[in-house]
Amino acid sequence: MDKEKVPLFGKWSYWYILVIGFLVVCIVVFNYLTKHFS
Amino acid sequence: MSRPDWIVLALTLVGIIVYGLYKGRATKDLDGYILSNRTIPWYMVLLGIMGTQASAVTFLSAPGQAYTDGMRFVQYYFGLPLAMVVVCIAFVPVFHRLKVYTAYEYLESRFDLKTRSLTSFLFLVSRGLSTGISIAAPSIILSSLLGWNLVWTTVLMGGLLIIYTVSGGARAVAYTQQLQMIIIFSGLLIAAYVVVHKLPSGVGLSQILHIGGKAGKMNIITTGIDGKGHGFDWNDRYNLLSGIIGGFFLQLSYFGADQSQVGRYLTARSLAESRLGLLLNGLVKVPMQFCILLLGVMVFSFYHFNREPVFFNRSQLELLAHTKYKDSLDLLSRKYAALEDQRLAMPAAGTDARLGEIDREKAGIKATIRRWLDDKAVGGDSNDTNYIFLRFVTDHLPAGLVGLLIAVIFLAAWGSIAATLNSLASCTIVDFHRRFSRRGLSHEREYRFSQLYTLIWGIFCVASAQLVYHLGNSLIEAVNVLGSLFYGVILGVFLVAFYRKRVGGHAVFISAILIEAGVIVLEMLSRKGIVPLGFLWLNVVGAVGVVLLSELLQPLMPGGKSSRAERPAVR
Repeated sequence: MDKEKVPLFGKWSYWYILVIGFLVVCIVVFNYLTKHFS
Repeated sequence: MSRPDWIVLALTLVGIIVYGLYKGRATKDLDGYILSNRTIPWYMVLLGIMGTQASAVTFLSAPGQAYTDGMRFVQYYFGLPLAMVVVCIAFVPVFHRLKVYTAYEYLESRFDLKTRSLTSFLFLVSRGLSTGISIAAPSIILSSLLGWNLVWTTVLMGGLLIIYTVSGGARAVAYTQQLQMIIIFSGLLIAAYVVVHKLPSGVGLSQILHIGGKAGKMNIITTGIDGKGHGFDWNDRYNLLSGIIGGFFLQLSYFGADQSQVGRYLTARSLAESRLGLLLNGLVKVPMQFCILLLGVMVFSFYHFNREPVFFNRSQLELLAHTKYKDSLDLLSRKYAALEDQRLAMPAAGTDARLGEIDREKAGIKATIRRWLDDKAVGGDSNDTNYIFLRFVTDHLPAGLVGLLIAVIFLAAWGSIAATLNSLASCTIVDFHRRFSRRGLSHEREYRFSQLYTLIWGIFCVASAQLVYHLGNSLIEAVNVLGSLFYGVILGVFLVAFYRKRVGGHAVFISAILIEAGVIVLEMLSRKGIVPLGFLWLNVVGAVGVVLLSELLQPLMPGGKSSRAERPAVR
């Protein structure tokens, strides 16, 4: 769809991996905090 | 407020206005006024996007939200990172390639004039109304806590920023937002430091979180399933599923199809810098919101070691003191104070049972006061959530810092409102005045009309803010719900434009109108309890509804089974 360079990485798939990984880490850490401090 | 507070507040506000006027002085034409001649670097795009999304209400109500309901509100932003990637791939390159001023210009090249005008009109209606509410909500809170005149507070909140927004357009907005965000973050950081500093010695962050967690405030992740076999609660506003799916559609619509955001990232130097600003916003927003909510939990734990007010909104207690509940209120207030004395005198260990009793008695007193305020004869506002943080600031922060934190509230409001006024003026001049004008407009007249429309929208928003005061605290809820009523449908139109190439203008136009009516009916049914549905799901219903209905209607449209291809010429 877009010929211009993807920021920071070579492919959009890396950005998908990064944000999904980021979300998973957030959910795991937040879930740990929820359980630990409840 | 003390004299140092007034000085800090005045210097900050005047400084921002002067800085905005100075930075915006080079603006002389429409391109400069609406898009800052596309010269803004990525980090300013990032701060602009964040400053536009985070209004005064965000900073006032998020800590209070964590104080009362816990930290689960952070899940509202879980759809954002993924939405940013989709916006960067699908929306941003199209807007850059066509060199549009507004997002809705693209819809004329893809569909037709009526679809462009309809979506731009929906944006103007929803944004125009919600901006009035965004001005009124923090004004009410400040005026009732500090005893300021409500009209003048509103004028200060929504009026002064008009000076630099009218004068300097998008460039003034971008540069002031940068400075505003720096001051806002500094103010919040200082507030967090003061909370920790004022705790008894030996009490650290871990203890604070344990105190908050024990009271159910560390409920960061919730599933929406109650555990009693009732299954998923569709009416539950903030949980993992509604945050990821509902939040994704809401953020996709907000960043892809709302001119107040599109106008920010189109000011970037290049497509790559627009994208970088958006992508980084997706990564910093969740931690940022987490920190703001954590501040609420810290304030909650602070009151574990200090006297907690029986009700955070003082003006409502004064209101009750002039009703038939006056004597009962005195009695309850004394009882509450005695309970607080007992609680604070207790040793730290081995008092859980008595502490639980005291907490239950305190909750009972608070519930009674709320019931009195809800009495029609009193006509009060029983929700004090949005007063919690500011009450803590005014009661416990040292002189000078109170002024800084109040300046933070003003700057948050200004950053968001200035961007909105600029976008409302952009749509009015580009999508309506210039598009429907029979005679061409010179560059000079386009620029002058843009300034005039910014001024008119500014006056409209301040005036409409004066008319909605009677809604009280439900104003804040109204802002969120109002956006969700329109965002889904606007997003649906853009999704059809990008991904359903065979669908044409007639089908998407009719679908948008029908689904918009359906979403409004659904919200009304939800409010009456007939259809249990949290407001975030309205975005999903609107977007998916427009895509599906336009697909169904397309074969019935004159011309048949396929639409026209995208045309490059846009006025």
